[in-house]
Amino acid sequence: MPTVNDFLLILPEVVLLIWALLILLIDLWIPDTKKYYTAVLSAAGLVISAGCAFALLGRTGSAFSNMVVLDGFSSVLSILFLLSGLAAVALAYDYLKRNAAQRGEYYTLLLFSIAGMMLMASANDLIMVFLSLELLSIPLYILAGFFRPRLASEEAALKYFLLGAFSSAILLFGIAWIYGSTGHTDFPGIVASIDGGRANYLLLLIGAGLLLVGFGFKIGVFPFHMWVPDTYQGSPSSIGAFMTVATKAAGFAALLRVFLVLFPAEAPIMAGILWGLSAASMIFGNTVAIAQMNMKRLLAYSSIANAGYILMAFVPYGNPVIAQEAVSSALFYLLAYALTSFGAWAVMIALEPAESDGLLLQDFSGLGRKYPWLGAALLISMLSFIGVPLTMGFWGKFYLFKTAVDGSQIPLVLIGLLTSLVSAYYYLRIVMFAYFKPGEPQIQPGRWASVVAVICAAGIFVLSFIPTPVFQFAAQMIMGMK
Amino acid sequence: MTAVQIVFLAVAALTLAAAVMVVSLRRMMQSALALILALVGVAVIFALLGSGFFAVSQVVVYIGAIAILIIFAVMLTQNSMSPEHSQMNPGFLYAALGSALLFSSLVFILSMWVGFYAIPVNLDPSVDTITVLGLSLTDPQGFALPFEIVSVLLLAALIGGIYIARDHHRD
Amino acid sequence: MVNDWVYIGLFILISLFLPAAAILIAGWLAPKKPNKIKNSTYECGIETVGDTWVQFRVQYYIYALVFLVFDVETVFLYPWAVAYRQLTLFAVLEAVVFLLLLAGGLIYAWKKGALQWN
Repeated sequence: MPTVNDFLLILPEVVLLIWALLILLIDLWIPDTKKYYTAVLSAAGLVISAGCAFALLGRTGSAFSNMVVLDGFSSVLSILFLLSGLAAVALAYDYLKRNAAQRGEYYTLLLFSIAGMMLMASANDLIMVFLSLELLSIPLYILAGFFRPRLASEEAALKYFLLGAFSSAILLFGIAWIYGSTGHTDFPGIVASIDGGRANYLLLLIGAGLLLVGFGFKIGVFPFHMWVPDTYQGSPSSIGAFMTVATKAAGFAALLRVFLVLFPAEAPIMAGILWGLSAASMIFGNTVAIAQMNMKRLLAYSSIANAGYILMAFVPYGNPVIAQEAVSSALFYLLAYALTSFGAWAVMIALEPAESDGLLLQDFSGLGRKYPWLGAALLISMLSFIGVPLTMGFWGKFYLFKTAVDGSQIPLVLIGLLTSLVSAYYYLRIVMFAYFKPGEPQIQPGRWASVVAVICAAGIFVLSFIPTPVFQFAAQMIMGMK
Repeated sequence: MTAVQIVFLAVAALTLAAAVMVVSLRRMMQSALALILALVGVAVIFALLGSGFFAVSQVVVYIGAIAILIIFAVMLTQNSMSPEHSQMNPGFLYAALGSALLFSSLVFILSMWVGFYAIPVNLDPSVDTITVLGLSLTDPQGFALPFEIVSVLLLAALIGGIYIARDHHRD
Repeated sequence: MVNDWVYIGLFILISLFLPAAAILIAGWLAPKKPNKIKNSTYECGIETVGDTWVQFRVQYYIYALVFLVFDVETVFLYPWAVAYRQLTLFAVLEAVVFLLLLAGGLIYAWKKGALQWN
């Protein structure tokens, strides 16, 4: 029999899943004109689940005989996913109405996806990693195509689905190799088998490589980024914002845990591959973003570059001291990036008219004068993306670069600094349009997107005064990580 | 060579040939039928490995449901059924070379592994494997949590499938 | 174990052989005097119209999709049912939860008209 403790440790996930099922059923009897009830209900579910996750903060343990573990790492990420979900609901609230796509499935699928992400952050068995990856991906395939029958949305869903299914298969293949090498799928069993010298190193290495490819697709690093621009552009904007933050964080959660726990011995070889992925993502994302005049595509390429930055700190993960620091700075950067990315997307969603494929940069002209609050939010987000002091983005990059320097990855840090300089060009160009070009942008009805934008901008600004406590909180949280 | 080995080689050859037909035949419907043949081959291989449950699952799920789904999908997409288009990408040669290289190196690495030469052992006939599977699927010390997650996953797939396939023009 | 499958294999071989033999022998023995009418497709005496490759309705697809999900559910429940006598109460409840979740999906499919033919 499972103990109460087993259920207690996965309480946020259980609550969220039950809530999703209830919403699915309740929504069937909510008339089309009153779909905002579903939105409010799903937000309530997210808040309750986040409350459970907060209550469990600091508690550690494993449930269901090591299928999942709860530790600071998974708790913090769970809260991040739930808050991202809340933002995705708030951003969708007016946006879906505007696009005549107020359908209850949005909220149910979103909740399922978040539950998958939370399970992924705490998965302690490769079977759980795979199942939670599917649970987070399948709803997102649908959400990317949520504006069906609009062609761009269908294209987004199809591209995401084909490459996502492909990457899932590669991940599964990698799991098979690891299972072949060690005879286990649970992390403690695999570690015991490796420590006992019973594991075949070469098979394990191939498995690690295949897992890296699988996760690489989810976090969208070069060269596994092909789906990113088209999918982010064609998807509903609220889902694009959600995917840049939450999907990426979930992919990183699994990547960090799997590699730290299972493959410390492969670090010398994997470090080279991670180095290449990180450098290529930073260079590719930042240079191609220069050519983008569509805000959604620009943010998509920026997300590729940001995945490269996070990966940078993780390159020397074979060194246990650096690994601790790398995970804390990755968590810190994910928080900073979440605020920044949601801020930028929210400003765009507030202005985005119905049936649009994303605003052009010119459409921001005159924003600073006409809507000072929204203009300020955009300005702060862009400065945070670049990494200018007095923003969270600065501290995020600071800790990442510091970790990389501590891990003696000087060339990578130089690439990171140079590409950050390059990125200043296209981020500041948006600011230039918003403040120095005349124009009459029109804010769309409904204020929720603006509220999210202002909250995120305030977060970026205010938290930047207390970076050390936040970072120490992250560092303290991951101390108990198994 | 034992009879089982001969049957295995014949079935493996048939499966591979059918798999090649899936990607090389010009009519999508015929590809779908070839896919069914390949799936039957996989089911027979499961049976040869002594895993009756998976052999039957393979037939029930893959042939009974997925192949049917694929045939319906082929029948739905009328435009792509025309056999006139070229079947090759411009870069197919590189892709074929890369795949062949990857395959041969994976086989080479596997051949250095002791497990590659392990001789399959017959299972204890007094143990019913399906019962063991059923017990471990629902055992909280086993796969109880993944079992429930699968159910959620199926639910999400069901909702998503219906949502995508429904005709939103008429809503 | 494998021996049990020999019978099934033999059964499949015979079931393939019989119709194949009937068709092939008929092909060898039958006199061939083709003409246009004899070569036309026979469909209950009525002349065929149009192409045989017609586009299906999307409803077939949705049916197959719903069927697939419940088919996979069956595969998961079958081992559970076989082991039923040895299960604890908790394991039985687990399967009930499993079924309830998918029952929710069925209600959704029903209410959304996915099971309706129109």
